Amino acid sequence: MSAPVGSTAGGLAQATSPVRRRFSLRPGSLTPYLFMLPALVVLGVFFVGAFLQVVYYSFTTYTAFSPPEFVGLDNYKRVLADDRFWWCLLNSFIYLLVTPALILLSLAAALIVRSSIRTGRWLRLLFFLPVVTPTIVAAVAWRLLFEDQGLINSIIALAGLDPIGWLTQRPWTLITAMTVTLWKGFGFYMMIFIAGLLAVPKELEEACALDGAGPVRSFFAVVLPTIWPVVVLVGIISSISALKVFDELFITIKGTPIEHQTVVPLVYEVAFVQGTGDFGLACAMGLVLFVIILVFSVINLRLTGAVKGGRP
Amino acid sequence: MSRTPPWLVALRIVCALALVALAIVPAIWLAMIAVQPADADLRSVGGGFTLNNFRGAWAEGGLASATLNSVLVTFSRAGLNVLLAALAAYPLARMSFRGRDICFVLILATTMIPEQVIVVPLFRIVAGMGMFDTLAALVVPFGVSAFGIFLCRQAFLQVPWELEEAARIDGAGPLRTWWNVMIPLSAPTLATLALFSIIAAWSDLLWPLVVLNSPEKYTLPLAINELLGQFATNPRYAYAGSVLALVPIVVFFLAMERWLKPSLFAGAVKG
Repeated sequence: MSAPVGSTAGGLAQATSPVRRRFSLRPGSLTPYLFMLPALVVLGVFFVGAFLQVVYYSFTTYTAFSPPEFVGLDNYKRVLADDRFWWCLLNSFIYLLVTPALILLSLAAALIVRSSIRTGRWLRLLFFLPVVTPTIVAAVAWRLLFEDQGLINSIIALAGLDPIGWLTQRPWTLITAMTVTLWKGFGFYMMIFIAGLLAVPKELEEACALDGAGPVRSFFAVVLPTIWPVVVLVGIISSISALKVFDELFITIKGTPIEHQTVVPLVYEVAFVQGTGDFGLACAMGLVLFVIILVFSVINLRLTGAVKGGRP
Repeated sequence: MSRTPPWLVALRIVCALALVALAIVPAIWLAMIAVQPADADLRSVGGGFTLNNFRGAWAEGGLASATLNSVLVTFSRAGLNVLLAALAAYPLARMSFRGRDICFVLILATTMIPEQVIVVPLFRIVAGMGMFDTLAALVVPFGVSAFGIFLCRQAFLQVPWELEEAARIDGAGPLRTWWNVMIPLSAPTLATLALFSIIAAWSDLLWPLVVLNSPEKYTLPLAINELLGQFATNPRYAYAGSVLALVPIVVFFLAMERWLKPSLFAGAVKG
């Protein structure tokens, strides 16, 4: 891909600044802001605007039937007194168990892909297919497998065990939803690990082998320490998305009591499903979850230094 | 490096087979159930072959209009995402101006807001703009993502300064430099971003559920959700519909796959 650097000086060219190692702009030039304007409008109106309203509503009585009226911390007191909230928060934290499983599975997938150039490319392709599968399709497919008389229970029956109510009984329902998350996620994190593994110095691995270390030894002595930052990163990213999970639960374990689900489905339930449309309470619940996610995100930014660096 | 012990080779093959099975069995099982006649047992597959479920799903689920709507929404959303993200990322990567870092931090901060948490006011804002029950409501609010801006910024940071200088010397302004230098040199990243946007838009469920009302506006996930509903005539229609929703995105992915470089994923998360 060559860069077709225009030899034609277009009508757009208005600033012929002296050649420097950076784009020098006249002070106060609007150019950078104009570039960012459309994106900032969209993010500002739809995300920041909506978020500020969530903060406001969380301090009001606002339901489907009554306009917002300021009530101070009432909604937050109701959140803390709400048993459903504590159950769902507990489930959200249990849901974080997908993270270690995801790390193991995606790292294993990456190591396998890396071990063979010929088949690796095909395996990578296959492992990525769940990532492109629409969540509702994934949920429908897994519901079939987890049905009372589905494939998984048939296999369990072959082992002489009783069938399990994967779609109806606690704690199995949560495990069922986590399976869908795991299935849809491991191919994505595998890609990150493949990239991370490229940074493992071949010479070190070879030196290790020369010294008589087996593959297990060299994995723990060379490979794992090199990619450790990637492991941490995958852990944080997947934890954040585990806390935000909704789609998998919404379809896969449709119809189970809300206490079997996590915080985001509870927010949806309080706002849209239960008859009163208690938006104030839903917003307060959402904000409590937001604070928890914020903590994870701050750790993420700290560890990855996404904000620093890259100064032109 | 040189000699791999046989137990490791065996372990790799076993793990590879297990992971392949995990990755493809659910979709294959779904497809096999979807081609079974109505009287077959859900526990086993291979009890006959019929395309009636597909015909039924297509007719009853309104899949023709749902597919068209999904395609329209998916491509306009992906196009808008790439365009707006690439525009916004350019000054963030290549210009120094007042407030740049704070802009970037604020943009990144929007990723911490779960979409489901802001869905109530988002609905009010969108309805207030007269977009309730329109396909535009699925496109405009999600026309750009912080993730996309971040990804493009990473790509632009890699473009050699000399090329930009050369364009400047030739008299190109910022917009022309962006279009003629930055965009072509970042094509793999832009393709990756397009793929991610397409996957997300094709799969989107909660927001269309909230903002769409009339069945003729439904996208594929909503149409499948309807087929799953309690008033659906035949549960197998939902399975057939799911297969129909899965095939286009898989074909599209296979066509785009060569653009997908693992290193871009690293860029996406490492910063």
